[in-house]
Amino acid sequence: MKPFSKDILFLENIDEVCNNIITKLKNDVYQKLQRRGAVIGISGGIDSSVCMALSAKAFGPEKVTAIMLPEQDSSDDSKNLALKLANKFDVNTLEENITQALDGFGCYNRRDEAIGRVITGFDPKVDKAKIEIKQNINKNIPAIFSITVIKPNGKVYSKLLPAKEYLQIVASTNFKQRSRMSMLYYHAERLHYAVIGTPNKHEVEQGFFVKHGDGAADVMPIGHLYKTQVYQLAAHLGVPQEIIDRTPTTDTYTAEQTQEDFFYQMPFKEMDLTWYGWENNYEAEEVGKVMGKTTQEIENIYKSFERKKKTTEYLRMRPIF
Amino acid sequence: MITQVETKSRVKEYIVSATLSDTKDVADDTLIFETGLLDSMGLLFLIEFLKEEFNVEVTDEELLPENFESVNNIIKFIDSKL
Repeated sequence: MKPFSKDILFLENIDEVCNNIITKLKNDVYQKLQRRGAVIGISGGIDSSVCMALSAKAFGPEKVTAIMLPEQDSSDDSKNLALKLANKFDVNTLEENITQALDGFGCYNRRDEAIGRVITGFDPKVDKAKIEIKQNINKNIPAIFSITVIKPNGKVYSKLLPAKEYLQIVASTNFKQRSRMSMLYYHAERLHYAVIGTPNKHEVEQGFFVKHGDGAADVMPIGHLYKTQVYQLAAHLGVPQEIIDRTPTTDTYTAEQTQEDFFYQMPFKEMDLTWYGWENNYEAEEVGKVMGKTTQEIENIYKSFERKKKTTEYLRMRPIF
Repeated sequence: MITQVETKSRVKEYIVSATLSDTKDVADDTLIFETGLLDSMGLLFLIEFLKEEFNVEVTDEELLPENFESVNNIIKFIDSKL
């Protein structure tokens, strides 16, 4: 086993890595899935950008349809960056605004009603809201979500979410990913294409996806890559710098929300290395020395990873019969 | 006024029924997260139980292992709030 170091995840031969993914993607879509091209949802985020760039190289831009799926809570940045990306790789785009579909499902009303039960005086017309994990990952206790509401005057109200409201908020907002999945499959079936899924290794293994939402796809070309490796690929493939420089967000709630706030509880560079250490059975002491953390802190993070992987097993399970 | 013995018995009973465990697997000092008895949703439902059963509200700052990691710790936490 290689000694643990900060460079342990660096992809030495990036050209070879990209070519292998592209070859596999072609084989998966053309041979295994018997489809003739790719449909991909693009959000201006790093993961979907890299997947679209890989798809364009694998199938040729003319056989890739990139779909922007905004809704009323999406940031304008998402659309602008997605368009910039598609133009760079000469890929055709479609825009499908899913706000009305979500309204029909009652996504916004159901979510706002639950928030209003926790934060008195919540006004969804003017207030911004998000859910976040506020505990430090080193606490060695399962993560619990809080709701944070930001008033127009900047005043912030935050409260631990009771079980009933937490579940209702998550179930409501999950309509977003599931509606996007429906729309992607509509276009994929219309064109006899495959749906390219964009989750990276952390999203797959820590369960940071919606079952039958963004977790549903025909092929996931970066499902085995750490986030830092996705960034390495992005630079190599020529993904626009603004996308590379953008802080990863969920683009799901009305208030700005980083993926770190929402789920991961630590910066992704640290998370990547610690996850690698945990997955490859490196001693917490060795990892701690490299990361500038105590052995106890690394052990607590290892336990948190273990918990996340175990509690999200349900998301990765196939139907039981 | 509910006694500490009664409180402990109700908390234990709740954990046993919520986790479909055997009573002997939930001792006073069993580490309920370490052993995988409760995950994050389990903890959230436990917090709900404490509110309904003992009218104990939990804040974000109180979400600490020393308040929740075993039946003994939960009892101490409830006592501190009553």
